Amino acid sequence: MSEYKSVVVTKGRGGWGGPLTITPTDERPLVASITGGGIHPVAQRIADLTGGEVVDGFRSSAPFDKLAVAVIDCGGTARVGVYPMKKVMTVDVHATSPAGPLAQFITEQLFVSGVKPEDVTET
Amino acid sequence: MSTAPTTVYESTVTAVGAQVTAFLEHGILIFFADEAPPELHDISVLHRATVADDGPRPGDTVHLGAATLEVLAVGEVVRDNLLNLGHLDLKADGLTEAKLPGDVCVPKGEIALLAVGDSFRITRPASTDTGQD
Repeated sequence: MSEYKSVVVTKGRGGWGGPLTITPTDERPLVASITGGGIHPVAQRIADLTGGEVVDGFRSSAPFDKLAVAVIDCGGTARVGVYPMKKVMTVDVHATSPAGPLAQFITEQLFVSGVKPEDVTET
Repeated sequence: MSTAPTTVYESTVTAVGAQVTAFLEHGILIFFADEAPPELHDISVLHRATVADDGPRPGDTVHLGAATLEVLAVGEVVRDNLLNLGHLDLKADGLTEAKLPGDVCVPKGEIALLAVGDSFRITRPASTDTGQD
């Protein structure tokens, strides 16, 4: 059995939403980096502090129902909505606010943006 | 000096997601490279690039099959998204300043629905290319 810890992710400068408390579980162990250029430092830090398993969503499988959190580098339209729509906690490293056709799914309970590694803290 | 436009991005459509038409009704067309996670396939036109030299700039032309759209404005994360992930958000909002960092703004109007095998290209007029390379 795995021991997971919690982190709190707060919005960064110009960001929106949160704070989110993220705790991986045996059912949802993955910290997925759905970002360009490999695993983002924010995803790595969440995984390091929680004990979750970090994966590059563009290289390996990261199904919605296995995710503790999705870390994205979304410019405001697509990924910001897709993960919250599936009730997956979502951290955008860009400072976006709810917009686009999926804006209704983007809530402060599921989404936080403008996040840098220092915005991820242990509880 | 050549007057022919330069192709800065060229790609072929490999799949069109089930929700793409719903986004088109909002004047939005979303692209992702075909290695994108399956979770993103529904909302995206998937494609495979053969030329990926640059992202769009204002004044460039986006070619969707035979249709063409003038680029009016480009957000600050567009180039990274396109070159890293094959990702682009095309918005027919007519804005000359991008509202969101991922937006590529084109004139208001209908965006053509792409089909598998269609080409997706971005070309740049020769005159704006002086001083490059």
